[in-house]
Amino acid sequence: MNENLFTSFSTPTLMGLPIIIMIIAFPALLYPTSNRLISNRIRTLQQYLINLILKQMMAIHSPKGRTWSLMLMSLIIFIASTNLLGLLPHTFTPTTQLSINLGLAIPLWAGAVILGFRYKFKTSVSHFLPQGTPILLIPMLIIIETISLFIQPMALAVRLTANITAGHLLMHLIGAATLALFSISTSTALITFIILLLLTMLEFAVALIQAYVFTLLVSLYLHDNT
Amino acid sequence: MAGPEADSQFQFTGIKKYFNSYTLTGRMNCVLATYGGIALLVLYFKLRPKKTPAVKAS
Repeated sequence: MNENLFTSFSTPTLMGLPIIIMIIAFPALLYPTSNRLISNRIRTLQQYLINLILKQMMAIHSPKGRTWSLMLMSLIIFIASTNLLGLLPHTFTPTTQLSINLGLAIPLWAGAVILGFRYKFKTSVSHFLPQGTPILLIPMLIIIETISLFIQPMALAVRLTANITAGHLLMHLIGAATLALFSISTSTALITFIILLLLTMLEFAVALIQAYVFTLLVSLYLHDNT
Repeated sequence: MAGPEADSQFQFTGIKKYFNSYTLTGRMNCVLATYGGIALLVLYFKLRPKKTPAVKAS
């Protein structure tokens, strides 16, 4: 039972070869591309949704921050589609792996922070001391703000990993419980099945929300530094 | 952060002109001074001579 519970999080292999790169690249195949200005319905719907997210997310940014639009849109679409595909049975979800989430979070956070220090050094450094701090609290608060800065990429990565992994684990457990209870007590199995359905609906929402939160936080770090 | 900070709206004198928690420059100087202080502390503890106990004659 324990062996079955965690095998879905192990790196997938096909005949001994790791296929994780193919799995990460796979969601891109689901989005059709075209070299026409106005294409078919699917492409129009895709463009409409991306424009909606783009306008909402990049409205607060300066022109310098808006140069990151492509990066942030790719990020949200990648995380959202990876999370949603992971809700299908027997699929592998790359965002359950801390390594992948750290690989997303650290470069993006570091890019925003380095941009801030490079072009607006005084403003970036003065972020470590909130305005109006009492004199006695100044050194302590600077240390606390420095620590909170360096925790940001870790929090980004771990938040996504934990949310998706926990959701998948719960679905596994409740699904197994439903199956086990079916032969013992059908009414209890029915209640557990309803719980599973509600959980699955929650996981759909979590998949999209976590993608949005990740991208929003990266965009906020960027906004602070541009 | 409450809007663009105009350093000129605050008139400090003496050391407060350079180290305060209101103006951008003041905040920057406080932060850099704190980091400098921590760096000096670390350097001091690293470089101070280690006291070796005197060898007792048997």
